[in-house]
Amino acid sequence: MRIVVAEDLYLLREGMVRLIEAYGHQVVATAATGPETLDALLKWRPDTAVVDVRMPPTQSDEGLRAALAARRELPGLPVLILSQHVEQLYARELLADGAGGIGYLLKESVFEADQFIGALERVADGGTAMDPAVIAKLLSSGPSNRRLEGLTEREHSVLGLMAEGLSNQAIGRRLFLSESAISKYTTSMFNKLGITDDDNSNRRVLAVLTYLNRP
Amino acid sequence: MGRVSSWPARAGVGFLRACIVVVVTMLVPAVWAAAVALGIRWGPGNPWSWVAPFVLVCVGTLALSRPVCRMFRLLVVRWTATVVPAGYRKAGPVTRMSTGYWWNGFSYERTRRDALLDQRWRVRWRDPANWRDLRFTVIAPLTAGVAASVPPAGVAVAVLGLAQPALPLRLAGVFGLAVAIATAPYAWRCAEPVAVRFLGPSATMALADRVEELTAQRADTTVAQAAEIRRIERDLHDGAQARLVALGLSLATAEKLMETDPDRARTLMREARSGAATSLTELRELVQGINPPVLSERGLIDAVRALALDSPLEATVSADAQLHLDPPIESAVYFGIAELLTNAVKHAHATRARISIARDDTGIVVEVEDDGRGGAGLRAGGGLEGLCRRLAVFDGTVEITSPAGGPTRVEMMVPCESL
Repeated sequence: MRIVVAEDLYLLREGMVRLIEAYGHQVVATAATGPETLDALLKWRPDTAVVDVRMPPTQSDEGLRAALAARRELPGLPVLILSQHVEQLYARELLADGAGGIGYLLKESVFEADQFIGALERVADGGTAMDPAVIAKLLSSGPSNRRLEGLTEREHSVLGLMAEGLSNQAIGRRLFLSESAISKYTTSMFNKLGITDDDNSNRRVLAVLTYLNRP
Repeated sequence: MGRVSSWPARAGVGFLRACIVVVVTMLVPAVWAAAVALGIRWGPGNPWSWVAPFVLVCVGTLALSRPVCRMFRLLVVRWTATVVPAGYRKAGPVTRMSTGYWWNGFSYERTRRDALLDQRWRVRWRDPANWRDLRFTVIAPLTAGVAASVPPAGVAVAVLGLAQPALPLRLAGVFGLAVAIATAPYAWRCAEPVAVRFLGPSATMALADRVEELTAQRADTTVAQAAEIRRIERDLHDGAQARLVALGLSLATAEKLMETDPDRARTLMREARSGAATSLTELRELVQGINPPVLSERGLIDAVRALALDSPLEATVSADAQLHLDPPIESAVYFGIAELLTNAVKHAHATRARISIARDDTGIVVEVEDDGRGGAGLRAGGGLEGLCRRLAVFDGTVEITSPAGGPTRVEMMVPCESL
């Protein structure tokens, strides 16, 4: 894959480049500020990009805004946002256009290198990769909490993993269950929530996230 | 006193009040008159005829000035509901030292009673309000006293004049009665403007009070800040720092075992990784408590929106478009709202909350309302008290209405120029 890495701290940027290259992907450009990030995204149109939220010159949410602006220009441009903290507010802004190809993870997710690269690949394919912390907050916050009361505990954990962006196969591996058992759970779950089940896993994740996002 | 409607009743009440004003304002002049009368009575031959009246005037004026002012203020409050702030110095606390002596802010005393007595006198005599009270005892009889004495004087003229057989004197009596009846409802009313103008705290006293208030606040703030810094230091020292040391150790050991025992090395590496993740989580929580990142990235309103999203309550946020506040104020307001939302969940068992942030011409007004069971109040050392103290630094105020059974409504107001 061709990847753009946007991160203002030199050590982290270089570490990320090394890790990505170790997995055989190509880093086509790096950026250290918000405007640079936007330029790089628009110029290279990478298969996916890793973008930090807080960057110079303002040290506010420059990276996030650059990513959103780039996606307005090029809808569906895959972007994986990395941050020191995860906020539902940002997750909702990223998911608002419903185009998929969005990841939002904590910086320490790079510790699990295999999973991190897996998330990058998923995002590049137009899927989603949401941090468990965001999903946990989404599942537990007021309105959605009450809507999920009818779910069994097992269905709840399946829904959480699905919202993170995992496929049935991956969920099965996480919960030590067969893929067919997982699809049984998802069918009953979708019936309870009134979401139309979809074979395409990306569309399905988006449906779940939209559902959780509803105020 | 309620509103009196009919003319005769108003005249009657007014006459009574005028008499009371005259009595109160003329107390000190009466002492002076008594002193002069004494001097004249003892005659110029007696050496005491000057000394004793002089002592009487000094002592009488000093002793009566404050009670007269207090009475006058009380009358104005009862009749017109206009509260005139007194601004007298308040005595500070009396504390027992480790030596067993009592410190009252001025000196050490052997017993608590001595300390209190000594303090009372010192506070009483050093009070700048004394000068104002003395001035008032001179001004009041010449203003409110003279005006209020018109109806009683008119009645006196009437009583004296109507008792005389001569016609001009009788006419004068009738005129006096007319004047008394006409002025009775109004004569006492000049007590209010006089009190407001001459009995309020002077600019100097107001400044002194303000300085005292600010000193107390500064002490509060520095103590709170020091405690906060200690907490942060302890958290870093016992948490992240210790973990990083362990991390380094694991890595060093792993490096050593790379050649000899690769499996153990791999286990150690995995441990190091999870240790790093844990210390990051700890640091994130710490940072969240010092200054939430959303606040520096997005400003107050979005930070409050994020707070509402994370809250288990169904919280709605309505806010004026753009607020540009100083970061310290933003932070105080943010933590205030966070505190209130936490209370709504933990203590009031609320399900919904409404947060509104608006600005008016003086500052910003934040309202937080929940549908919980109410009964919130200020307790010493409680969260709400901490919130008040946090906002007091910026001259902000907190109003809590929380009847038992709810709903709880808290209004925070922070005056700021830089909007």
